[in-house]
Amino acid sequence: MLSCAEFLAEFGDYLDGAAGPELRAKLEAHLNECKACQVIVDSTRKTIRIVTDSDSFTLPADKVEPIVTDVMARIRQKRL
Amino acid sequence: MGGNAASPAYSAQVAPYSFVPKVFAAQQALARAIQAEQRLIQAIATQEGGLSRRHKDCLFRTVASAWQNDCCRAIDPGTSSNQSENDSALVAFAQKLARYAPWFSRRDVEALKAAGFDDPAVLEAVQTIALSQMLCTLAYALCPDAEWQPASGIPPASPSFAANLEYTETLGPYLQTRVAPASGFRVGALFREHFGFVPNIFAEQMLRPDVVEAEAEALEQILIAEDVLSRIRKENILLAISAANGNTYFVAVHGQMLSVLGVSAEHSDQVVQGEYPPDMSAADVALLNEVRKLALPAAVSPGKFDPGALQAHGFTEVQIVEAVTMAALTNFLNTLQFGLGAAPDFPPRRIFSPKDLHRSAAPSRLTFDETRPEDADVPFVARVQNGDRDAFEDLVRRHSRRVFSTLAGILGGTDDARDATQEVFLKAFENISKFEGRSKFSTWLISVAINTGTDLLRQRRPSESLDEVADDEGFRPRQIQSWAENPEQLLAASERNDLVREAVLRLPPKYRVAVLLRDINQLSTEQAAAALGLSIPALKARLLRGRLMLRESLAPHFIRTENRSSNAQLR
Repeated sequence: MLSCAEFLAEFGDYLDGAAGPELRAKLEAHLNECKACQVIVDSTRKTIRIVTDSDSFTLPADKVEPIVTDVMARIRQKRL
Repeated sequence: MGGNAASPAYSAQVAPYSFVPKVFAAQQALARAIQAEQRLIQAIATQEGGLSRRHKDCLFRTVASAWQNDCCRAIDPGTSSNQSENDSALVAFAQKLARYAPWFSRRDVEALKAAGFDDPAVLEAVQTIALSQMLCTLAYALCPDAEWQPASGIPPASPSFAANLEYTETLGPYLQTRVAPASGFRVGALFREHFGFVPNIFAEQMLRPDVVEAEAEALEQILIAEDVLSRIRKENILLAISAANGNTYFVAVHGQMLSVLGVSAEHSDQVVQGEYPPDMSAADVALLNEVRKLALPAAVSPGKFDPGALQAHGFTEVQIVEAVTMAALTNFLNTLQFGLGAAPDFPPRRIFSPKDLHRSAAPSRLTFDETRPEDADVPFVARVQNGDRDAFEDLVRRHSRRVFSTLAGILGGTDDARDATQEVFLKAFENISKFEGRSKFSTWLISVAINTGTDLLRQRRPSESLDEVADDEGFRPRQIQSWAENPEQLLAASERNDLVREAVLRLPPKYRVAVLLRDINQLSTEQAAAALGLSIPALKARLLRGRLMLRESLAPHFIRTENRSSNAQLR
């Protein structure tokens, strides 16, 4: 049976649905017994969802064209 | 799906366009669907109006090649070897709409018009491509027989197509000619009865009222009939696939339809996100997971459609046929909308862009890049390398958001990130001769962005770099209280954005960049590792640490209020 520290070192692939069957079985055996790690898995999944869906670093749609225009103006001025 | 040979009547019906009638034989358990499809074929494919039959054959072949499916390719090898310029404009139009529908815009319609096609011809082209998508969906799901493996010589995307691949948000509708329904138009009442109004997507097609009538019949026979699957199940299929296709219009309209049928907006939002409501049955979840695999070629498919998975949940053959037919009808409708730019009849709860395609591919978190058949940037890069500076514009437009968000995440300030985004593109332009195609162009560009961002960060704060971080050894989760079921609902979107932004910017840089690339920019593990010059295990370790640190920062805002005092214990 894994300890919590071992579980927390290994569960990255599990979060991404990329753990192989053997690892998954080991992790789930621990999860079945450990309320704390259940909470951590659940809240980490929610963290990923919140971060992925946030627009914290999104360039607003109306700011794309000014960047394109400025970059292309500078490129067209360059001498090859 | 088993099926006997198609009846002679079906064969006669479809012979002019060389559809393999097995598509219909496979649906014979659901005669009303075949009838509706044949009515659409008659109205769209066999009538010659703005487009000749030769043109329509050309469109069918182009769509079939996007699906790598030989089933509904017209067998007319002479046509492709004798293309006129006018044909290549049509092929480019069809390739864009068939393969990359979410990127389709007014510009594509204008390019076709510039090649001499008028509004009635453009409308017929869109309808023909939509019909081909429908037939290809049916063939893909119901007839995976070896005889329809991709034929050799399926044309790759043409250069003229590649030149048009960019995403610009343009507002529809795209056709200028608009006609009111004639007084004898009989399907207006049908729309009003079932929907309460005539949806814009049909109003946009009134140049061809006969086609709209055939579409109305298809809706009646496939969506509205309730003798096999319930209307709500089919509306959910429509919603889930429209979300997978990134179609704002149909997600908005059919989210509204579901609410009229008594389904809550929250429930529909969850279906759209691929995170199914807790009260949804396992059979319904399996149904939506399977049909999502039938989304348009541009969408990220989470795997191959497996009717066996549905049988295992007790679905009968006729139910599976109807689910597939509903998926095919959804692809038909979505393609019409992408091609015509019909504006939503209701304010959308969510506006999709190509960036969203990966998000709806639950449960797997595949990214857009992993499933693209080829690196779509390569033709542009080659043109720039050959001295065509203008081709760089498309690369800037396509990647500016991803470059910006990477830099905003590294530097913090929006203005700094905008300036740095320009620097990154100038550096990329200057160094483009060094890009050899060993990685995707987007991966290479992101690595330029990371290097530029970290150089700037180092100038500003010499102690911070990607490799040296404050001591974080011994990091151990401290917040171990359960989170709310739907934590997003506890804060307004703007508050969540601020919170995430602050939490990400507090991460030590090496963890921050891993989170930025994987969770915010949605790069695959492989791409993120390549962009950072890390091994995959190293990238995964940094990502996990970054996510756990973020969780720690966000937890106080999202734990269940009733649990604030009870912390579970690690062992």
